Amino acid sequence: MIWLLASALLFSLGAYGVLTRRTAILVFLSIELMLNAAALALVSLARLTGSLDAQVVVLFIIAMAAAEVAVGLGLIVAIFRRRETTNIDELRQLRW
Amino acid sequence: MSVGFWEMVVLFLLVLSGLAVVRLQNAVHAALALIANFLLVAGVYVALEARFVAMIQIIVYAGAIVVLFLFVIMLLSAANANVGLDLLPRLPWAAALGALGLAGVLVYGLIRYQPAANPPALGGGLPQALGPLLYDPEKWLFALLAVGFLLLVATVAAVVLVEPERILAATTHPAHPSQKEEKVEVGP
Repeated sequence: MIWLLASALLFSLGAYGVLTRRTAILVFLSIELMLNAAALALVSLARLTGSLDAQVVVLFIIAMAAAEVAVGLGLIVAIFRRRETTNIDELRQLRW
Repeated sequence: MSVGFWEMVVLFLLVLSGLAVVRLQNAVHAALALIANFLLVAGVYVALEARFVAMIQIIVYAGAIVVLFLFVIMLLSAANANVGLDLLPRLPWAAALGALGLAGVLVYGLIRYQPAANPPALGGGLPQALGPLLYDPEKWLFALLAVGFLLLVATVAAVVLVEPERILAATTHPAHPSQKEEKVEVGP
């Protein structure tokens, strides 16, 4: 149970980071924190319910996170090359 | 729910390292705090009978992913990008309020949850227990193949995204004046 609490706290901290950070790479870092909190919740629920399926899902989450980081950081580098900034207040072409 | 001393210590350290990730001004320090957080979570996984997941967590998350982060942070720092040293948190109290509200909702859902009395053992979460599930055609085999394909696609996409000028020139919109020519070299 205490690890579910830890997961909730870490997820909220990650959300705070996403809302306050102003550079794309640190927003991305906070998203990783949230993703890891979700994985922690799954593992502690696997322990609480005695089902190994949740642990398999966590393995998939980790593999997906690796793919996501590769593409996301590639995007950040590509954006930096074209705009010379990664400040998300200046990257507002997609914002209405 | 009885909480041991070391569990409290680890919970405190987890929250502390999480705070460091979201509050530290230096991006490299934030990424190092993220490594500490991931290692702590890996230790928690071992305590929760998920040893294989703990190993993968250390190798992939704390190893590969954060190293990739550090690499890009240092690449951008070398190109004089602002990677967090003087970030301006707009309305930090509003964000803190939102995060606290989110935590409240999550904890509210948590205290209503009643775990089963005697859950079956997980076999330590070792590969011997996870492997048959992972390669069972009626359970997770298709997802495993899909994730493998996803990794292949992501690798190709990452290479294409950061390829120098050739592809970039072909995709740059000519009528957009805000897109400057490349002046800063940030790639190999």
